[in-house]
Amino acid sequence: MKQFIFEAKQKQFLMGLMALGAVCLVLSYIFEPDSIAEAGFHQRFWSNLLHNGAFFTGMAFMTTFVIAAFVTAYSGWHVMFKRLWEAFSLFLIVGLVIFVLLGLGNVFHLHHLYHWAAEGITDPSSPNFDEVIAGKAGFLNNGWYIGGTLLIGGLWYFIARRMRQLSVQEDIDGDKVENFAYHRKIRFWAALFLPIAAFTGPALIWQWVMSVDAHWYSTLFAWYSMASWFLAACSLTILLLIYLKSLGYFEKVTVEHLHDLGKYMFAFSIFWTYCWFSQYMLIWYGNVGEETIYFKERLTHYPVLFYGNLFVNFALPFLILMRNTTKRRKGTLVFTAILVFIGHWWDYFYMIKPGTLITAQEAAHAGAHEAAQHGAAGFVAGFTIPGLLELGIMLGFVGLFIYVVFHHLSKVSLDPVNDPYYEESVHHEVQPYE
Amino acid sequence: MKSHSKKVLFGLYNDEEELMAAISGAKSKHLNIMDVYSPFPIHGMEKILGLEESRLHIVGFIFGMIGTLTAFLGMTWIFTSDWPTIFGGKPYFSLPAFVPIIFELTVLFSAIAMTVVFYIVCGLGFGVDNPILDDRITDDKFCLAFQTNDLSGTDVSNIKKFLKESGAAEIHEKEV
Repeated sequence: MKQFIFEAKQKQFLMGLMALGAVCLVLSYIFEPDSIAEAGFHQRFWSNLLHNGAFFTGMAFMTTFVIAAFVTAYSGWHVMFKRLWEAFSLFLIVGLVIFVLLGLGNVFHLHHLYHWAAEGITDPSSPNFDEVIAGKAGFLNNGWYIGGTLLIGGLWYFIARRMRQLSVQEDIDGDKVENFAYHRKIRFWAALFLPIAAFTGPALIWQWVMSVDAHWYSTLFAWYSMASWFLAACSLTILLLIYLKSLGYFEKVTVEHLHDLGKYMFAFSIFWTYCWFSQYMLIWYGNVGEETIYFKERLTHYPVLFYGNLFVNFALPFLILMRNTTKRRKGTLVFTAILVFIGHWWDYFYMIKPGTLITAQEAAHAGAHEAAQHGAAGFVAGFTIPGLLELGIMLGFVGLFIYVVFHHLSKVSLDPVNDPYYEESVHHEVQPYE
Repeated sequence: MKSHSKKVLFGLYNDEEELMAAISGAKSKHLNIMDVYSPFPIHGMEKILGLEESRLHIVGFIFGMIGTLTAFLGMTWIFTSDWPTIFGGKPYFSLPAFVPIIFELTVLFSAIAMTVVFYIVCGLGFGVDNPILDDRITDDKFCLAFQTNDLSGTDVSNIKKFLKESGAAEIHEKEV
């Protein structure tokens, strides 16, 4: 079947997930953990929005990046399911809406996710004045946050859309143009997007995610979080491909393509660990106070998050996917893909929640700066580990993401017959023996 | 590695398509193929020949683990009991600092072991004389070879007939 039909049953199910997510978001607005409830920040709600917004928007961004990288590198094997990735990349627009909301929240002080957005933080006469953050105010400010999100994110979306348009147009009359004109145009945009993504991706990651710990910074952070995004996108690709194949779509996507996607999941799990460990070990060895406090905080108060992250994102995929056979069997592939997807959602939880909790506690007990820094002891619902509401919100966002993907998928033919690499993808072979 | 000489009967083909067809034909006739030589890798050849998965990676895994243990136990012994040294105020047993060396020795051990084992298994290496059936199989000829040491005269003539029928441009016998 060349045309994906987005059936009413699927729509209802995904709508149901979204409704569940919305209910959980509202509940997380109401049920604020006791230690910061008095201040009325609704930190749990806002940090959930940031966590899921960053995670799912990043998946769309990394998919765009991977399309661009593959096209530039003359890759052919992925062509068979490139429509799925193109549909992924169009989620960027939804993510931008979320981040503009969060940015407006900064401007109007609706939330205290970012310490640098607090009132009077750069004003030496204010009680809120913070010298370190004042020194970073050239980058950590509302103009950069909203302007950067709109400009950079808008540029990402524009290029993602352009590449998809050309790719869809190629389907229609690509056989009539000379010299693979459409593919050459896609190549142009892809090559353009690579440096843009390399420079602007980290800038937005620092703004969106890393600056929740406004005093702390790590030059490896962007690599590490981008690897996380890619793994999440890769595992969701595997899950959706297997699901869509079971419905009869993508019949030319074979076990060989899934094998390669499994390899990507395996290899990038190791790459992720490499980045994670490099960041950890350099800070641990350097032992500079303002850097080490980040890990000290997490090791002391969030041991489950910290070690669970390594276990699910490194040990399990590494051991499970090491053998060839596990990458070729649907059961193990689905199992690992679900693990990796949740693992990297967990990873973003670990990046965002401790920092936002400290910021809220500091703001709630303004003045008692030092006490708040070390006051995160004990279990805090929705922050120490993901609670049921957080899981519900994740399901809601999964529903939203897949809804957007299916919506765009149903608009175009799934079979990119005029792609110059079509034949190569049909005959893709990874393992020549049985 | 040259224990006893092999009698080899081989056909040279001009085209890889002919070679592939000949392999399928030999398989269907249950002829025992010794080896196939080609100037370049041919897509789908492994499946027709029925080759099994290489077991080389098992060697890689075992020696990788030996490398892991060597690095881990070695460094633990050196830095905790043999010659305890304090680096940067860290404890004697500092696992994070060991990890890069553990990783490197794992890679080193498995890489060297796989290379050495690969050479041994293939009978390659310094001082090993590997007879070549025909110089042109590295250039423009495709070769299908049968070992005929233990075969009777009728079997050999059968193979010869098969080679001729399957389109071999030349048929040779050679003792290597």
